[in-house]
Amino acid sequence: MTAAIEATGVTRRFGSLRAVDDVTFSIEEGAICGLLGRNGAGKTTLMQLLTGQDFVSAGSISVFGQSPVENASVLQNVCFIKESQKYPEDFKVKHVLKSAPWFFQNWDADFADQLVEEFRLPQGRKIKKLSRGQLSSVGVIVGLASRAPLTIFDEPYLGLDAVARQLFYDRLLADYALHPRTVVLSTHLIDEVSNLLEHVLVIDNGRIIIDDSADNLRGSATAVVGTKAAVDEFARNRQVLHRDNIGGISSATIGTLSDDDRKAAAAAGLELSAVSLQQLIIRKTGTTEKEIEFSA
Amino acid sequence: MTTTTLPTPARSALARILTVARLHFVNKGQIIVVPWLIMSFIFAVTLIIGWILRSSLSAADLAEAGSGMQYSGAIGYFLVYMLVIAVMAISQTFPFAQSYSATRRDFYLGTIVAFTTLSLAYSTAVTVLGWLEDLTNGWGLGVVLFSPGYLSSNLLERFYVAFVLFLFFFMMGIAVASVYVRWRVNGMLIFFASLAVVILGLVALATVTGSWGAVGAWFVAMGFLGVVSWTLVPTVLAAIVGYLLLRGATPRN
Amino acid sequence: MDDSRPIFIQIAEQIENDILGGALPEESQVPSTNEYASFYRINPATAGKGVNVLIDSGILYKKRGIGMFVANGSRARIIAARRAQFHAEYITPLITEARNLDISPEELTDMIRKEGNS
Repeated sequence: MTAAIEATGVTRRFGSLRAVDDVTFSIEEGAICGLLGRNGAGKTTLMQLLTGQDFVSAGSISVFGQSPVENASVLQNVCFIKESQKYPEDFKVKHVLKSAPWFFQNWDADFADQLVEEFRLPQGRKIKKLSRGQLSSVGVIVGLASRAPLTIFDEPYLGLDAVARQLFYDRLLADYALHPRTVVLSTHLIDEVSNLLEHVLVIDNGRIIIDDSADNLRGSATAVVGTKAAVDEFARNRQVLHRDNIGGISSATIGTLSDDDRKAAAAAGLELSAVSLQQLIIRKTGTTEKEIEFSA
Repeated sequence: MTTTTLPTPARSALARILTVARLHFVNKGQIIVVPWLIMSFIFAVTLIIGWILRSSLSAADLAEAGSGMQYSGAIGYFLVYMLVIAVMAISQTFPFAQSYSATRRDFYLGTIVAFTTLSLAYSTAVTVLGWLEDLTNGWGLGVVLFSPGYLSSNLLERFYVAFVLFLFFFMMGIAVASVYVRWRVNGMLIFFASLAVVILGLVALATVTGSWGAVGAWFVAMGFLGVVSWTLVPTVLAAIVGYLLLRGATPRN
Repeated sequence: MDDSRPIFIQIAEQIENDILGGALPEESQVPSTNEYASFYRINPATAGKGVNVLIDSGILYKKRGIGMFVANGSRARIIAARRAQFHAEYITPLITEARNLDISPEELTDMIRKEGNS
């Protein structure tokens, strides 16, 4: 295994605030990795550090084996699509499509044209006149057509409807299959992307709280529902991520269960159900579901 | 895990810098079309005024009006507009170039190349227009726009003056915008406050030491060409300061 | 895809189901990893992992440069393996629930017979 990104003890302070706090992880080359977490958790700051757009306060980052900061030979392999990307005044869509290939060596113009058509993006329109969704699709198209060996999407589809988002997932998967590359995807629509991810990083309060393969995380938590007494009994000596009570009924989100655990639960009359990745992250970061769903 | 070799072959520094320079010209509206449209408008208005004067004034009055027009500031507008273009190039194109993964250094050098090229092109244009103006005796109407009286009749010298002034305004714009990109609004406030303090300090110094006479004498001794040449000092300083500031800047929302 | 188990296992099971149901006859070519990935909208690496499970167990085999095929006799082997699991996965929970509901073994047998005949 080779690492596209290695971060060691990375910290970024803004005054007394630690936006990124002593973070260590690596992202394998050729993987699609999710960088998940609630608003203000430090995702965007971390991505800016990975792409040399910001400077670490402590620690070190290596991208394709070298520091990315002011390193043209590393950065020419990187495409970072930011939700809040600013464009020069009066830039039109066509100006972006014309200039992007100068910077990204693997740019595929035919693919870009195809995407422009599929996302129904008006080429002659000024960027500042685009709707939020159209603005997002400009970023999505540049990110996909750049075929950069490391492509980072930060909330790439604000304002895109479900159809356009599905189009993005489909094109990403198909193009990634033909041209494997490292993709980092940061989003709050966790349920939508969880099947696309090979690896998951969850950041909360500037710290990495989950760094695991998607396969391991799937089924790593189970919701156990039953009478309060039965759930209490079963939850004893087990790792409980979350507890809920309604009347005499109780629900507990519990860590990994073995087959014997499952049999014991069934014998105790408890009902087991799977916990989605989104649910798991909500439980682990102490967020409410609403907060994740509507954060932007 | 082991680390890896770079996936794509490195490009030369020159290629990267020229790519950034090219980025400044991808949308020609802001940088070329708009300033020349306004210039054409000023030119047209000047011609119309010239025509009205010619057809309504006596020869003596005309001579007086003509001498008044010797100092028309149409070119001045053009220079100030260049400052605006430079400010926008830094404040807007810098975060955009970062999204194209250009380094700050490549972006800065590419920007200098772009604006030096623009200075060369615009100085040439202004010089040629001034030459045509002289040749046609003020476009046949005695109008003065590109060839004000304080410029020498030597075309090379005129070109030099225009070029140095274009560079001056571009680099001032770059430096000021770099302050903004690095430290945002607070930086701008502190910058302009400090600038005011420095200027007032210099004025006070000259007044207290009673050296206004010497200052005036210096300007006279330098002559127009000399003073213009001296602007190269702040121009180069601004270019250096701009780079030092931008080197530590991050594109923010 | 359900959330309780790794996707690659579910992919492997789905391919097995297709072999059992006759959608993928023995010696026929199996869709590529990328085709599975885009059909099920999952990561290609995950789809590849699922396919590899079946290659390792000899259900599928690779022809160099052509693709993957269903091995001869794999249908019978899947049936044998699934029969072994049948007791644990279906009979035990069925008996447990029947007991909870006071359904006697005779009653249960009757119910199964009726259901099987209909």
